[in-house]
Amino acid sequence: MITLAIDTSAGTSVAVLRDEQVLHEVNFEDTRSHAESIGVAIKQALNEAQVAFNDVQQVAVGIGPAPFTGLRVGIAAAKLFAIGLNSGARPASVYGVVSLDAIALSAIDAGEVASAENPMLITADARRGEVYWALYSGVDESGIPIRSEGPGVEKLVELKADLVARGLSVNHVVARVSAGELGRVLVAQQAAASASTDLTPLYLREADAVMPVSNRLAGKKVSG
Amino acid sequence: MIFNIRPAQANDLSAIMVIEQDRFASDAWSVELMSSELAAEHTYYFVAELNDQLVGYAGLSKVESSEQADVQTIAVARSVRGRRLGKALMYRLMDTARDLGATELFLEVRDDNGVAKELYSSLGFLTIDRRKGYYQPDNVDAIIQRLRLNQGKGLGPLILGIETSCDETGIGIVRGKTLLANVISSSMDVHARFGGVVPEIAARAHLEALEPTLNEALRLADVRLDEIDAVAVTNGPGLSGALMVGVAAGKALALSLDKPVYAVNHLVGHVGVDILERGELQTPTIALLVSGGHTSLLLVRDLLTDVEMLGETIDDAAGEAFDKVARVLDLPYPGGPEIDKAAAGGDPKAIRFPRGLTLPKDMEKNRYNFSFSGLKTAVARWVEVAEDSGEPWSKSDVAASFREAVVDVLIGKAINACLDHGVPRLLLGGGVIANARLREVARERCEANGIELRIPALSLCTDNGAMIAAVGSQLYMSGRMPSNLDFSAHSVLPVTTVLSDEEEWSLRHD
Repeated sequence: MITLAIDTSAGTSVAVLRDEQVLHEVNFEDTRSHAESIGVAIKQALNEAQVAFNDVQQVAVGIGPAPFTGLRVGIAAAKLFAIGLNSGARPASVYGVVSLDAIALSAIDAGEVASAENPMLITADARRGEVYWALYSGVDESGIPIRSEGPGVEKLVELKADLVARGLSVNHVVARVSAGELGRVLVAQQAAASASTDLTPLYLREADAVMPVSNRLAGKKVSG
Repeated sequence: MIFNIRPAQANDLSAIMVIEQDRFASDAWSVELMSSELAAEHTYYFVAELNDQLVGYAGLSKVESSEQADVQTIAVARSVRGRRLGKALMYRLMDTARDLGATELFLEVRDDNGVAKELYSSLGFLTIDRRKGYYQPDNVDAIIQRLRLNQGKGLGPLILGIETSCDETGIGIVRGKTLLANVISSSMDVHARFGGVVPEIAARAHLEALEPTLNEALRLADVRLDEIDAVAVTNGPGLSGALMVGVAAGKALALSLDKPVYAVNHLVGHVGVDILERGELQTPTIALLVSGGHTSLLLVRDLLTDVEMLGETIDDAAGEAFDKVARVLDLPYPGGPEIDKAAAGGDPKAIRFPRGLTLPKDMEKNRYNFSFSGLKTAVARWVEVAEDSGEPWSKSDVAASFREAVVDVLIGKAINACLDHGVPRLLLGGGVIANARLREVARERCEANGIELRIPALSLCTDNGAMIAAVGSQLYMSGRMPSNLDFSAHSVLPVTTVLSDEEEWSLRHD
């Protein structure tokens, strides 16, 4: 099974996997050039992995949580890449994976502590002084990270104070999402028949739109 | 890399012969034969120039009484092989044959010419016969091929256009110059609650709407995705978060289909859309594009190579002004149609609202620029004063007078542009063109000044994917290289950039 994995929740990360093995991964660190990078990243990952476009059988995409603009680039690309594949002989599905789960899997593999007593706290920059977060208590028998709480978005100080107040001692891990790890989460989920085709982005924030206060205050630009 | 393809003239003969003798070493035509071909009444020859140097030619034969046309010859110089010129010349011949009333186009090709055979097959030519040992002295078979010009690939390349620059998710499918599908999904209803387009809401809606809109367009056009020859996508100007959804989608789709992608300018799309209705864009033309996001006056000498921005709004777009004044008048969003309704029966001369940037002192620097922010403020102040006075006032009069001021400036400046530049054509585009009074005044003033007015169907005036596909199709047929995969979404893309980041020539393309 050849998987193309895409995540644009932070930078632009694209990987090609054969089953759970990562053949090649391409990363563009810039968090503001997803639209520019995505095409190049996909092409480069497939070329370097020496996999023909038509041989891709499924697409995994990170659905966040992440800032709006970049996140959409990855999901839009994943959707349309799969649609293009589907016009050929072989149908391809696209699956959504919580981006923080990929960080958790990679951290646990690297030996980071994650248990019910000492949960692992994964955070990612949410801008505006906040972080996206989730708690993990380990991996299940299929190798899927067990997300015990989250994802959520909050100020880090408040989040930590809250965890301390609850008597929880957490192992805090901050890392970038790797598309290869994201692909591995999907493969593990598929083995346990728990993969999801829901691609709804986890924005966790409402669009910044304000209702006009008064009709007379015309001219106020509504912006987001 | 822009080739100029034009009808051949007798004095092109020697340059043609240089290529002829190089490309057809063993069976080149003689100078006499080529000369008589160029001069013959039933032939139509074209040459391609690059930097004023002749780099290719192609000829068509079509006798008046017949519905069949033949490709006589085609050749491109070695120096430009792989730059899509062969394809561009063939599209020119197909176009010419169709215009001359041909329904079928025939050609013969050496069986050992793999590159040519691949080109013809990609254009839709099918083999109908083989002549043994036709080419001498090499003793190579001739393959006879035919293309039906009135259906399928004979009508031109199949181009999918994606437009997400504002609040409409548009997918259009065009075959050559023929519109096959134009599906639009709008998030306007959501924005109505906020009295204007909310960029983040628009971008979220695009992501939701892309797939269903695409599927509906494919269904209506009755084509499969793997038949698409190229993808064209708006990369600006527009709302950047919204543009990015389309850009990412267009790139990924093109990649998985293994087809080229063209990054097309949104405003040029509004101009190019006329091709879908008339089969061509008559140039030069002035174009007035008016929507919620743009108010632009363009001078178009050539759709693909020469578009000049004469002026644009320096503050609010005209559509925005309608929305804001609608709010002042307690009318819902979008303001354009509501103000149109409210203005019915009102006196357009009741109140003399200011005409932005039309005073003599403005006309020097801002002859073709627009400003609507002062007008909006003037209306708000007028209403405030009227309310404070306690006297009854007519909403219809205010709406009609405001609308008259907007229309007066828009059309007045557009007519000026036509007259100043000696251009007898005006093309309108953008959603505000739906405004009844604007169309009426445009008709009156164009007629009075001997200017031909073009107003495309409303479904092609508002933002849509078909207009992007139409420009993509022109770029494709003209032999332009596709965009590099790393092109950006540009919220303020200049109109002179018709196609963004055209790929450097490499051997990968032919």
